[in-house]
Amino acid sequence: MADSICRTIRDGALEGEHAPSLTIKDTTASPYGFGVFTHVLSQASTLILAGKSQSRGLVVVAYSRSPSFYLDFLKRSGVDVASSQKWIHILDCYTDPLGWKHQLADSGILPSNSSAGACLFQDVKDINKLQSLILELGSGLVGQGKVRFSVAIDSVTEMLRHVPLSKVAALISDLRSHDQISSIFWLLHSDIHDVRVTTSLEYLSSMVASVESLNQSSDGLSGDLGNLSLLEQNFRRGKFHVRFKRRNGRVRVMNEQFHMEESGIKFTSVTVEDGLVSQGLVPKVLFNLELSEKEKLERARVVLPFEHQGNGKPIQIYDGRRSLAPESMGEVSADTSQSSTEECSNGGGEIIYFRDSDDERPDSDEDPDDDLDI
Amino acid sequence: MAATKTRTSSFSRNLPAASSAQSPEIKCGPNGTFFVSSGIPDLDKTLGGGIPLGSLVMVMEDSEAPHHMLLLRNFMSQGLVHKQPLLYASPSKDPRGFLGTLPSPSSPKDDKSRSHDAEQEKGLRIAWQYKKYFDNKQDFSNEFDLRRPLDRHFYTTQHVDCISTHDLPNLAPLQERCTSFLSHFPRSDSNIVCTGRIAIQSLCAPQCENSSMEWEMLSFIRALKSTVRSANAVAIITFPSSLVSPSFCKRWQHLADCLVSVKAIPDEDKELAKLLTGYQDIVGFLNIHKVSRINTQVPAVLEATTLSIKLQKRRYLVLECLNQAPIDGSGGTSYGTSGSCSGSSSKSGSLNF
Repeated sequence: MADSICRTIRDGALEGEHAPSLTIKDTTASPYGFGVFTHVLSQASTLILAGKSQSRGLVVVAYSRSPSFYLDFLKRSGVDVASSQKWIHILDCYTDPLGWKHQLADSGILPSNSSAGACLFQDVKDINKLQSLILELGSGLVGQGKVRFSVAIDSVTEMLRHVPLSKVAALISDLRSHDQISSIFWLLHSDIHDVRVTTSLEYLSSMVASVESLNQSSDGLSGDLGNLSLLEQNFRRGKFHVRFKRRNGRVRVMNEQFHMEESGIKFTSVTVEDGLVSQGLVPKVLFNLELSEKEKLERARVVLPFEHQGNGKPIQIYDGRRSLAPESMGEVSADTSQSSTEECSNGGGEIIYFRDSDDERPDSDEDPDDDLDI
Repeated sequence: MAATKTRTSSFSRNLPAASSAQSPEIKCGPNGTFFVSSGIPDLDKTLGGGIPLGSLVMVMEDSEAPHHMLLLRNFMSQGLVHKQPLLYASPSKDPRGFLGTLPSPSSPKDDKSRSHDAEQEKGLRIAWQYKKYFDNKQDFSNEFDLRRPLDRHFYTTQHVDCISTHDLPNLAPLQERCTSFLSHFPRSDSNIVCTGRIAIQSLCAPQCENSSMEWEMLSFIRALKSTVRSANAVAIITFPSSLVSPSFCKRWQHLADCLVSVKAIPDEDKELAKLLTGYQDIVGFLNIHKVSRINTQVPAVLEATTLSIKLQKRRYLVLECLNQAPIDGSGGTSYGTSGSCSGSSSKSGSLNF
C-alpha cells in the first residue's frame, strides 16, 4: 500500500543497516509509474517539512523532468516551496546532460541561461562525480553530523542510457550503505530493459512497487472495439502491487488499485487476495487423503457391480454388457427378475454371484489346517 | 540417510585411524571422506554427517531474503571456533566489518533446546572413562547464538583473510588468493593437520564490475572446485541465482558438489498458515538439491529435501522438516522445486535434475 511505503521511507534507516530503497516500476501497458513517483515525492516532502521523518533533506536527481516542473508540482500539492533551499536540492540532469548546450554556448551559438534553485549537471557519464555531488548537496542541506537525507532518482532508465548497469548498481549500493542516507527511491520502466537489469535493481531494493494494468493483455486492444469507452476508463486505473522485504526475511505482499486523476494518483484498497503464491513453494506431497465435493458425488454415483445400491431395488447383477445410465437401469430392473436364470434379451449369459462373506460361518471353531492330510 | 549405514567392504581405504580422535572438528565419513561441520547441526544431520572435505558448496540466494547470510555466518563461525583458517570474499568495500556480526557459540546453560540431552544424563551415570566421547561429540558442531557476537580474539589472532570483490576488474586476483590460501592445506596420506574454509558471498552481485563476465566466473568456479578437491578444505559460494542468465545458472549448479537454495516466504499468508504447522516461526525455506558424493557413485536419497528455517527465540537457527497437510498430489518429483516466491513477475526457478 502506498501509505506503508511512505511510512517506511519516513522511518528511514537504522544504524548499521542499509537504507530502505524503493523501486517503482511500470510498463507501457500502464505507464503511471511517474504518478507514483511524484506521489511518494510529495509525501516525503511533506513529512520532511513537518519534521516527522528521519530525513531532513531531499536530493532529487532529475533526468526526465526539469527542476521547475518539480517545484511547480510541489507547490500544487501544497508543499511550501518558498523555503526550498533549506530542504530540497534538485540536481538538474535534464537540461543539459551531456554538456552540449554548454559547448554551444561557449562557441557563442546559444545564449546561456541558468536555472535558479537547481544545480546543473552536465556530465552524466561520470557516475563518480554524480555520486560525490549527491553527497555534497545532501550534506549541504543537513550538515555533516548524524542527520540524514533522502535521495530520489527520477528515472534510472535514463541513467542507464549513459552508464552501464554495474556502475548504477554500485552507485545505489554505495548510497544505501552511506551513513547519511535515510532512504532512496527511483523509477524504472521495466519493459525497456533486459530482465537482468530489472532483477538487479530489485535485488538492491527493499521494496518493489509495480504498476500493472487491470486487464492482463499486453496491449490495451483486446479486439473488442465496442467496449472502447470501458477500455479508456480502465486505462486510467490499474493494479498497484508492492513487495516489502522485511528484516526477518519474509516478504510482505500487498495489493491495491489506483486511479489516475487530474490532481494526481489515488489509491484504493482491494479485497480480493489470491493465494496462489503459496502453492508453488511447498513441495507437493504424493498422496491425497481427502475427497473434494465433486469426488464425493462421483463416488456416490458409482454402480457397484455385484452389490445392491442400498435404495430398496432388487439386486441387479451387472454383467458388463448393459449401460450404466440410471434410467436404463430402471428399465432393466423391470425386465429381469430375482432369479437370474431367466432369459434376457441380451442373449442368455448370466452371472451367479455368491458373496464370499456368506460362506463364513461366524462361530466356526474349525482350524482350516485340519483339512490337510499330512 | 545413506551415511548412517557404514558398510565395510573389502575395498576400504587404509585410513590413519588416529586422525578422528585427535581433532574434534573432523569426523570420519564413509568412503574415505572426512566431514567438517557446516555450523548448523540440523543441516549436518541432513547432509549425512557434515560437509565432506574437498567439496564445493553452492548456495542459491533468494534476492528477497538474506537467509544465505545465516548459513554463511554459521559456517564461518564454526570454522573460527575450530581454529580453521578462513578466507572470506564479499562485494562490500569493507569485508572485515562483517566478521563483527558472526555469532558466538551458545553456552550450554542458555541452551534449553538441547535440554533433552540433559535429561538423558540425569538418568544415566556415565563412567568417567567414557565421558570424553560425549565431549567430543559436542565439539564437532556447535549451536550458535545469533544475538551474541563472536569474541574478537577468534578472528584477530588467527589467519583470517578478507577480500572485497567490489572493485576487482576481473576475477584473477580472487583466484590467486584462493589458490595461495589452499596451498597451505595439501592433501596427503598422513594425518590431517589442519583444514581451511573459503566463504565467498554473492559472487555475481550487480554492484561488482566483474558481474557481467559470465565465462570468467564460470572458469573461476571450475578452477576453485578442482583446487579445493585436492586440498583439505571446504568452499562455500553464495550467488543470487536470479541475476545470472539461465544457461549459466544451470552450469554453475552442475559445478557444485553440494547445492542448496534458500527461499523467502510471504508474510501473513493465510494459505501457507493453513498448510504448515508452526508457520509463525518459519522465516524461510531451505531446499537441498544435491549432496556431495565423493569417492562413491551411490546417490544420496534424502528423507526430506525441503527444510524450514526457523529462528528459535530469535537466536538459534533451526532447520526442520516441513509438517504439512497432504495436498493435491498431482505431479512433483523428489528433486523438483516449483516456482519462486516472486509471483507477480512469474520468474520460475524450477530445477529439475
